[in-house]
Amino acid sequence: MHDVRFSGEDILARQLKMAESNFERLREQGVRAVSVLGAIGSGKTTLIERLIDRVAKCGLKAAAIAADSAGDDDHKRFLSHNVPSVNINTQDDCHLDAHTVEHALDHLPLKDLDLLFIENVGNLICPADFPLGTETEIVVISVTEGDDMVRKHPKIFAQTDIVVVNKTDLAGAVGVDANRIVADYAKINPHGVAVLTNARADQGIDELMRALGIPCTNTLW
Amino acid sequence: MHEYSVVAELVGALTQRLADIDGTVTKVHLRKGVLRILSDRALVNAYEAVTQGTRLEGSALEIEIVPAQVRCKTCAFEGAATVLQDETFHFAIPVLSCPACGADVNVLAGRELTVESVSIEDPDDG
Repeated sequence: MHDVRFSGEDILARQLKMAESNFERLREQGVRAVSVLGAIGSGKTTLIERLIDRVAKCGLKAAAIAADSAGDDDHKRFLSHNVPSVNINTQDDCHLDAHTVEHALDHLPLKDLDLLFIENVGNLICPADFPLGTETEIVVISVTEGDDMVRKHPKIFAQTDIVVVNKTDLAGAVGVDANRIVADYAKINPHGVAVLTNARADQGIDELMRALGIPCTNTLW
Repeated sequence: MHEYSVVAELVGALTQRLADIDGTVTKVHLRKGVLRILSDRALVNAYEAVTQGTRLEGSALEIEIVPAQVRCKTCAFEGAATVLQDETFHFAIPVLSCPACGADVNVLAGRELTVESVSIEDPDDG
């Protein structure tokens, strides 16, 4: 019996390398990529639609990648905002990975873009271990998921820099205190930024743009 | 159930690494950072399923949890992250903030997922 020692390379090194390669490729082309994670129905697509419109108002060019198990509903919504979009169907996979994103990037006019929003599959947990090569990650929670969302998923939120608490208009209807979500998040992640939004009504989007550090020179903003 | 994707990567990497080494694989020692969102039970179940028909079939997957270590971006602190033991959270969770001054930190350990060693039974072990 003997033991073979290993050099300590990460098992997901292949994934990490592909993510780094995406990151470099986007940086070379001057594209800031933001990945948007969150459960099914948290409001990721609507939020990205609002960001796309805001970015256009700022005179910047955005694109999107829509990932779902099946269908092209989100992709069509992005296209209706007159931005390039790529649709990815992950079929039975519960998360995007860097390799799939790499192929999607081949279909986007990267040199003309300033921002790229990548909407992951509606799933809070699985995508967390698969970096895509984006500069920023945000996690979207809807108040309808309950005000114990952060407490139920502490590891996710301890490592998430920006959390969006969406559908704040519904908080009263479902008996949820959005501030409790924010307080839990502050306790577990003292350096994170929480933004309250009602994406459907276009509320809180400017705050999110600031949290994302997206520069806007347009005076309307 | 992204543990299956992770284990598929693991088995692929191990098969390649062990290609030139004879003997029966009996145990794979994995180090998993506490910040990884991977279920031990799902990893072990996935390992049993994915290794079927490979030379890793029948070997045990042993998982060691690595605590979080941080380095402060502001003061000189380097060491274990504070673990939040709040009963409203359903388990203890490391807080990624400096235990000494409260500033933001870099994570030194706690996110890894590495193979430490593989135990091999040599053909002449009898």
